[in-house]
Amino acid sequence: MRHIPTLVRRELGAYFLAPMAFLILLAFQVIAWFNFWELVDGLSRRQQSFSSVRDPLNSYLSQSIPFWIGLLVAIPALTMRLLAEERRSGTVETLLTAPVTETEIVVSKWLAGVFMFLVLLLPFAIYLPFLYYQAKFYFDPGPLLSLGIGLTTLGMMFVAIGLFFSALTRNQIIAAIWSFAVLFLFVFMTLLLYFYAVGQRLEWAEGVRFVAVLLQVQSFGLGRLDLRYVALHLSVAVFMIYLTVKVLQSRRLA
Amino acid sequence: MIQVDRLTKRYGSFKAVNGVSFSVGRGEIVGLLGPNGAGKTTTMRILTTFLGPTSGRAALAGHDVLDEPLEVRRKVGYLPENVPLYLEMRVREYLLYRAKLTDVPRSRRRAAINEVITRCRLGDVENRILGHLSKGYRQRVGLAAAMVHDPDILILDEPTAGLDPIQIREVRALIRELGDRHTILLSTHIMSEVEAVCGRVIIIAQGRIAVDQPLERLRSESLIVLEARGPGDAIRHGLETVPGVERVQPTHTDGDYAAFEIQTRDGADLREELAQRVNQNGWPLRQLDIRRSTLEDRFIQAVTRETISAEAELEAV
Repeated sequence: MRHIPTLVRRELGAYFLAPMAFLILLAFQVIAWFNFWELVDGLSRRQQSFSSVRDPLNSYLSQSIPFWIGLLVAIPALTMRLLAEERRSGTVETLLTAPVTETEIVVSKWLAGVFMFLVLLLPFAIYLPFLYYQAKFYFDPGPLLSLGIGLTTLGMMFVAIGLFFSALTRNQIIAAIWSFAVLFLFVFMTLLLYFYAVGQRLEWAEGVRFVAVLLQVQSFGLGRLDLRYVALHLSVAVFMIYLTVKVLQSRRLA
Repeated sequence: MIQVDRLTKRYGSFKAVNGVSFSVGRGEIVGLLGPNGAGKTTTMRILTTFLGPTSGRAALAGHDVLDEPLEVRRKVGYLPENVPLYLEMRVREYLLYRAKLTDVPRSRRRAAINEVITRCRLGDVENRILGHLSKGYRQRVGLAAAMVHDPDILILDEPTAGLDPIQIREVRALIRELGDRHTILLSTHIMSEVEAVCGRVIIIAQGRIAVDQPLERLRSESLIVLEARGPGDAIRHGLETVPGVERVQPTHTDGDYAAFEIQTRDGADLREELAQRVNQNGWPLRQLDIRRSTLEDRFIQAVTRETISAEAELEAV
């Protein structure tokens, strides 16, 4: 495990020496700015619409459609090159013939991806001090912390899924499309399925609610730090990392 | 340093490497020669633990490639075909990254990097971005990266592919220099490269070893060409029974004349004995000549022979 700092540093270097990371970051900054504008607008019209103001931070971040669409596009874009690019350019051959284990490589790439995911959330955090100190909107930092933890573990899971698909192909586009499809199922299809199940009064509605990512994040945003969700995210992440390691090792079989 | 025993690698039903065995001693520079698709790269990938063999064993510096891959990787420096590099990095930065990955101790890293920069003559470009370097420089950076941890064994896959003649000469000189400290296995499909650099040649064709000989012996081999008038089979039999003759190959017939290529043991010059035998039987002799075979002859011979036997095998199936 002693090679991980070296590998992570190289991975982050690759992100920031290419325009990709900056473009995604810029897009997120635009989304954050737009959401913040909406939030301030909503707060200033307090009397008219109560529904979104009751829970302003959730509507700022976790319930905003642009944020989720941005996330669904950004995570595949960040993870697609992690292993697919190494395979396409052949550098995987130099990497896997250095005295480094497959686990070290996969964990390093995953850590770099998670770090980039957290960097993506920074544009949203930038506006919060203004809201607190300048606009004197004294929101409760507790739910914000629980939302932060929830989004972090969610990111760990999503990045692990993206990394897995990146290991399967040498074509970045294919990796991105597969990760997008799976993340889309996780975020939107579970939600639709949940609404359907509730509408039909089916007993498995509760089960779907548990895996519906959007509802999980809403719950985190309300300040409920549900450890079952954290456990779910982390176990999926560990499982996907394990599968990715196995994919890399499989080349030496047969 | 390198022991390979009946190594086989299958891709589905295709045998890329088929029962290859050879061994390389310390300090040898061995050229793995073969046409494209002969199994050179696959063999090297197995030796560097990038791929696993379907069957057979291989050990480098006493460590088995399947049982102790990390030990093998510590002892081996590998330059893959086409020299893959992280093009966004700078030369010195990349070498430092490789030094860290290959466990060069912190106190020795600086010295190790300076040494490979000097040996590979990268001083002029050490702070340039890899993506901006010419192919020749990239090749040298790849070599420098392969040897930064001072491995016992260097495995180089087509180290001069795509270089211009001057760069080729430089890289070859570098490889010869490295030969005094490292055991080197290099692959190529360029005959003159083997002659310029290697002490021994292994010709590989259709996944099999066709020739494995020191270059000295290959050079001394010769072929006698004989043409005489008479019944072909009788002449052939007559020639085969001359002591020292290994193989008689009929090449063509021209009316009453039959021509043969004769291989002798250790390349001995048996022209006089052969002439005597032909005269004794009263076959008029039209041509008798000795040809020193070049590496190229041997290569073409080996490769076409393998191709023919592989085709025969296919037809038999």
